[in-house]
Amino acid sequence: MFTLEWIGNFGFSVLRLSTPLIYAGLAAVISAKAGMMNMALEGMMLVAALAGVVVSGMTGNLWIGLAAAILFGVITGGVIAFASISGKTDLYLTCIATNLAAAGGTVFAMYLLTGEKATTSAAIRAYTIPSITIPVIDKIPVIGPMISGHNLLTYVAFFSIWAVWFFLKRTRLGLRLRAVGENPTAASSVGISVKNIGYISFLLSGVLCGLAGAFMSMGWVSFFMKGMINGRGYIGLSASNIASANPAGAGIVAVFFGFTDALATSLKSGSSFPSEFIEMIPYASTMLAVVVIGIIRTNKARKVAKGGH
Amino acid sequence: MNRTSKVEFTVELVRIVTAVAIAYAVALITLFVISDDPVYIIQQFVLGPFSSPRRIGSIINLAIPFTFTGLCMCFMYAVNKFNLSGEGIFMISGCVISMVALKLGNSLPAPIAIAVLFVVGAGVGAIISGIPAIMEAKFKANIVVASLMLNNILVFLAIYLLKYKMRDNTIGFLGSLPLPEVIKFPAVFGKMRVQAGIFVAVIAVILVALLFYKMVFGYKMRVVGNNPQFAKASGINMMGTIIGAQLVGGAIAGMGGTVEILGNYDRFQWTASTQHGFDGLMVAVLARKNPLLVPVAALLLAYIRIGADVVNSKGDIPIEFITIIQGIVILMVAADEFMGGFKKKLIYKAAAEELAAKEKAAQKTA
Repeated sequence: MFTLEWIGNFGFSVLRLSTPLIYAGLAAVISAKAGMMNMALEGMMLVAALAGVVVSGMTGNLWIGLAAAILFGVITGGVIAFASISGKTDLYLTCIATNLAAAGGTVFAMYLLTGEKATTSAAIRAYTIPSITIPVIDKIPVIGPMISGHNLLTYVAFFSIWAVWFFLKRTRLGLRLRAVGENPTAASSVGISVKNIGYISFLLSGVLCGLAGAFMSMGWVSFFMKGMINGRGYIGLSASNIASANPAGAGIVAVFFGFTDALATSLKSGSSFPSEFIEMIPYASTMLAVVVIGIIRTNKARKVAKGGH
Repeated sequence: MNRTSKVEFTVELVRIVTAVAIAYAVALITLFVISDDPVYIIQQFVLGPFSSPRRIGSIINLAIPFTFTGLCMCFMYAVNKFNLSGEGIFMISGCVISMVALKLGNSLPAPIAIAVLFVVGAGVGAIISGIPAIMEAKFKANIVVASLMLNNILVFLAIYLLKYKMRDNTIGFLGSLPLPEVIKFPAVFGKMRVQAGIFVAVIAVILVALLFYKMVFGYKMRVVGNNPQFAKASGINMMGTIIGAQLVGGAIAGMGGTVEILGNYDRFQWTASTQHGFDGLMVAVLARKNPLLVPVAALLLAYIRIGADVVNSKGDIPIEFITIIQGIVILMVAADEFMGGFKKKLIYKAAAEELAAKEKAAQKTA
């Protein structure tokens, strides 16, 4: 089982399955840095996934589809920001309501457009975002098949880790966003509009969720499927929470969750173990990781309180 | 009740009615736009649920699980913890009590067997809702994430139990062996065929209302939710109250799953989450976490759902459009700013009148 070829393939599927989790994690990081918990990643990704497939199918142009996915991610983010910031609705409730509406709404929209309720695979022509073979590196054994030949959006995901870090740490807007997250009263006293920053954080979250959704429906597979995000938004949110909203940390945790996902997928084929338990692995490992990090943090806090290091 | 709280109550009522009316109007407009025969479809959506005693009965039958999960969410909402495990609890408790019922067979007399199943269902619910509650309280986990991850795990667990522990291989679909006859709830109210679980639901509503408004624990719970600083300052055991409320809520969701199986099913056959837990959130939001209003909200939601069901079967309108409407209702009812200006105006007016009356009285005495 553990041949070099298998390791290469397994590494490939880890990176592939990490892609949406990285985007979701980074989207959560941006909201978290602005002092908000974005629990609607799931719904935003779902809407974007459908929009990408439908628009690329209608226009016959892949890139317009990708743009539409991002646009719809941003619009959904805008709706949440409007409801919770301008309408003063509880953010938790807003996000839960958004996810519920997106879960049903995408099926509804899909049915109106295609007459199908489960997937768009038969009704809409598939466009997939191209994969890229990296010259030279693809010749290296093990590492080549692992990191070459991925979907463009997978590379963009890893680039986004740096981009989000750069945005938060090296730009004026990023600094303001962090200031609002740390202390909104202090930030507004020096003339930063807390409201605008809140909107910006959700719109940027929307861009990243749009890319995640596009990857799911135009890279991972080439169609939209009912409920296809399947908890990935929440897993991404956990990645951000575990990493205390650090972009690089969130990326690493997302890859770890991608690893558990890949493990579950490869265990499922060719094992007599009930597949139900294997399906639980990604969710169970998320819960476990959250508990472990919680224990570490409370112990640390206790030590600090005692005066140790 | 002083004048301000009277104004608040009135505005709240107007707000909820308006929100529901707007959402309902959106539903009607959607139907109008997408349907080939809008008049007929809208008529079916609005009046269809009342067109036969059987359908009225199915509104009530659907409102029963909504009532249980709505009560469950009232507890979570009262202490401001969005523990959404009710969704998974509903399914897994239905699954576990089916297993227990199959083990018991017809060995026990009906009342004892049913009592045992309720205890098991409630126990399963309490244990499961305790998992995210403790993860949140002890390890600072995000409770929404924890409970949703848990729901996913529970769905697979229930399918596993169904497939490997109680599957009936003689039938053409994935279902358990037939449940014993003793434990099945009879249908009541003649032609409406309402399941007898309605009595359990009514008792549950009354008990929960007593707990909320007449018992110390209920008071503590509301204080912890509404004003945590005050609760802490007055020495209420915060963590205990918060976890306790979630355990009770989980137990009620578990009873909901139990009632659903005993009242409506010959076999356990759920292979996907029932969505009743999330519907419970909407019910609790609509009822403004007041347990006495939960049945009203549950009936309203059930009416809209059955309407959508009728439309779904009569025309080519997918039932999923209802979830969008549900999202709109939750958002509008929960939005402080929605009609917030109207509320302020009324409160100012009431205060001004009160002040004027006082001044008048002062002038008279002077």
